[in-house]
Amino acid sequence: MRISAFVRLLQQILLGVFIFQSTAIGNPGEAKHTLYMMASLTKDFTIGRRTLHKSGVFRSNDRQTLEHVGFHHPRIDGAAFDPRDSSVFYLAALNGILGTRDRGQSWRILTGWNMTEPKDVAVDPHRPDRIYAALPDGIILSQDQGKTWAYKDKGIKRKYTQVIAVDRTHPDRIIAGTELGIYLSEDAAERWKPVLPTQATVNDIVQSPHQSDVFIAVTQSDGAWISSDCGSSWKPISSIGNSHTLHQAAFHPKDSEKMAICGWGAGVLTTEDGGITWKHRSEGLPSKNIWSLAIDPDFPNRIYANPYQEAVYVSDDFGRSWRPFLFDGTLVFDYVFIPEE
Amino acid sequence: MRILFYTIFFVGASLYTFAASEVLANRHEAYLDRINEVLEWRAGRVDPADLETGNHGEISASLALGQHIDWASQRLINILEEPRGDMFWMFPMTSIAYLGKDQLSNEAKQALRNAWRDYMPMRGDTENHWAMYYTSLFLMSEFWPDLGGEEWYSGKSSQENREEARDYLIWWMNLTTSRGQGEYDCTHYIGEYMIPMLYLSVWAKDPEMRIRGQMMVDYIMADFAIDTLDGIYIGAHARTSDGQVLEKWNGLSSFFSWLFFGNTPPPRNYGGWGSAFAVAAEHYELPEVIYRIATERDGPYLHKELKRTRERWRNSPERFTRVYKTTYMARDYAVGSDQGGLLQPIQQHSWDVTWAVDDPRGVHNTIFSLNPHWSTEEMQMYFTEYPDFMPEAVTKQGKPSYMAEDTFLGGSPYEQIYQQDDTIIALYDIIEGTKHEHINGFFSKDLARLEEDESGWIFVQGGNAYIAYFPLAPYEWKPLENGGKRLYSPHRKNGTVVQAASADEFESWVEFKNAIKKLPLETITKPVPEVHLTTLRGRQVVCIYGEIPKVDGNPVDYASWPLFGSRYMHAEPNSRQLRLTHGQLERVLDFETLSIRDRVIEKQPEEFDVWMIRP
Repeated sequence: MRISAFVRLLQQILLGVFIFQSTAIGNPGEAKHTLYMMASLTKDFTIGRRTLHKSGVFRSNDRQTLEHVGFHHPRIDGAAFDPRDSSVFYLAALNGILGTRDRGQSWRILTGWNMTEPKDVAVDPHRPDRIYAALPDGIILSQDQGKTWAYKDKGIKRKYTQVIAVDRTHPDRIIAGTELGIYLSEDAAERWKPVLPTQATVNDIVQSPHQSDVFIAVTQSDGAWISSDCGSSWKPISSIGNSHTLHQAAFHPKDSEKMAICGWGAGVLTTEDGGITWKHRSEGLPSKNIWSLAIDPDFPNRIYANPYQEAVYVSDDFGRSWRPFLFDGTLVFDYVFIPEE
Repeated sequence: MRILFYTIFFVGASLYTFAASEVLANRHEAYLDRINEVLEWRAGRVDPADLETGNHGEISASLALGQHIDWASQRLINILEEPRGDMFWMFPMTSIAYLGKDQLSNEAKQALRNAWRDYMPMRGDTENHWAMYYTSLFLMSEFWPDLGGEEWYSGKSSQENREEARDYLIWWMNLTTSRGQGEYDCTHYIGEYMIPMLYLSVWAKDPEMRIRGQMMVDYIMADFAIDTLDGIYIGAHARTSDGQVLEKWNGLSSFFSWLFFGNTPPPRNYGGWGSAFAVAAEHYELPEVIYRIATERDGPYLHKELKRTRERWRNSPERFTRVYKTTYMARDYAVGSDQGGLLQPIQQHSWDVTWAVDDPRGVHNTIFSLNPHWSTEEMQMYFTEYPDFMPEAVTKQGKPSYMAEDTFLGGSPYEQIYQQDDTIIALYDIIEGTKHEHINGFFSKDLARLEEDESGWIFVQGGNAYIAYFPLAPYEWKPLENGGKRLYSPHRKNGTVVQAASADEFESWVEFKNAIKKLPLETITKPVPEVHLTTLRGRQVVCIYGEIPKVDGNPVDYASWPLFGSRYMHAEPNSRQLRLTHGQLERVLDFETLSIRDRVIEKQPEEFDVWMIRP
């Protein structure tokens, strides 16, 4: 192990504070959002295995330093924040839905024994006491900030659900990515109808920050899809193809023409013309097996990408060049940007 | 005359009772000696001056023996500075808490308390994980019964933790005693059910959970005992390992045979987790009826069991699917199987013939075949993960052979198995383009004979068992690194027919071979593999891939498969009641009424005769 890596590891272990690998990333004052990353820092992690590094939620206010928040928990697939108060947030963790009301100082496992391995969690922006979660055996809803839960998956044939999205402009309109397609509910998950059948799991669904009726979905075996009518109908993004498992998609928060998609073997794909053309942007990354990605709202053209069990890489030219940014041998499952209060 | 008769009867009965109780007492004493042996070994690794070495195993063994107490306290404080291990941390810490209640220093007790507040163990994703997790959480929430949520990693109060844990454990017990265990008959993971259930039976304050724990230990041990051949776990397993699938003795299951039955050597380091069981084992006594099922068989027997698959999240219309198990147990050998297919991820073992040996250490006393299979579909059926990384990741997580073409471990969606008594018919219809399009047959280095006959039969002898093996398609031999050889048959339409027998049934080896060659046997491989065989036991069996097997012209009745069915074990699906019988002994584990009923019966009920094997 190199000395610098050892020192960094020591810092991680002793202080729980992480220093970004690059120092020329941006001025701390530029960051208007707090970045939360849900990450596992142990290569080839298995349950029960002894780990050297703390995993779980990491927070950065300035993109210069990173703070571990809350428990060591190597498997957190997603996070969602209460729009009224960002100190209240929820995690889709292996142990269930975890909730904090004090910015991660204290936690409670909100679900019981009968709800396990949530893959995603979403807070209803219209009624933020309502929380939806995607589970391997269906969809659950809490109407009281996680105190009680009920399954809400009537109409879904195969229950496995990977992703759930709440339409920010239409109350009660929920879109779910399941084992065999995309389902839509227009009555707050009371009933679901299929809107796009797929051969295998729908892995991500994201809503455009620019045009609220536009959604992108990426799938395991059916490529990428776009909807321009709030998820009612879907068209394939044919130039992306379906030869790779696609993991995640992201819209540029400020530039409506720019989007990015990543996947296993697919590398990073970007568009800068609103999805008409897509380019491979993986040169400089150690592999094309990209687990996750995100676009930072505070830095123009900045993408984070996490090749499988490598560092998190950063590009400040929208994928044209990359450099290692943070961590070694990690898996980042989700990135969330919360506006500074 | 009558007085004399009664006197003789009374004296005789007294002597018999005395002798029997002496046997029981001796056996219990030997059991306690073995427990002590394990604890002495584990605690004997402690250097009281060394506070840097030793883990929870040494601490709990020391506490169980009342040794090295100062060291145990200090060492516990040290290892709790950075708790890791999830449920594999939780249950040792639970035993330390209970064993150390009156022994650990206040500082050590406080460190333990703080750890259960500050460290969040993962609950895991298997039933053994959950058994360990929730048993530990239940017991620790009884240990600290009145704490608020701020004192627990879960954020839930002691009462909330206790209720959640209790609810899950009861749900799991109900499911298991109704539809069978999910991780059934595991050669290693048996320990990860036995240990938490023992702890529950010993330390639970709630009388319901205490008796449930005891009943589940009985239940798992009976389920184990029936499938042991001189202590060796035989037949189909939901999960086993690359090593133990060949060296059948070498694993944690043999620790339990050694401890309870005394009929096999203990595995190295007592199987790893043996000492975690031993720390509380003195409080459990194996019921006599289970001991006898394991050690005193008065002839061959057939045994059937219903189990269930692990939870299927994807690629299946059902959450759980039924597993139909069959065991034929004789003195010299055993044959066991499931119905084939993908029943468990990665570590499934679907059938084998195992022969008895005097000393099983280092011996590969088994024969079987399989289609080596790996796929992302299998991974996603049982794991909630993205597909592509999983197969290779599995090979780095303690299952190195998962993707190997020469593996002897794992299930295949292209395998269908039927067992009639001591005959196995395994058919393979492998789709083109799958990862491995061949069959591996395991032929041990420890076979006393191996002869390839012109008839197509391969005759082998292992111990005092004669075994005939008929491959449906051409094959070649490949040497194995650790001895023996692999039958490699690169044909997608394939199959294996195996007939076992005891050498004592025949005048000679030649007579056995002639008897097998005379058996009516027709096989075809296309369009699908098909076998028509009259077995050595006189049963006409027809197996066609994709169809329900027929025996003597009748389709096999899978719908009425018992939860347990044999001369020794009896349970109907959904009954939650298991009846164990041996000779005049009977024990009923009734999970409906939470009662254990022992009685002496006049003789085995006649309806159980259906399970007896008649020559």
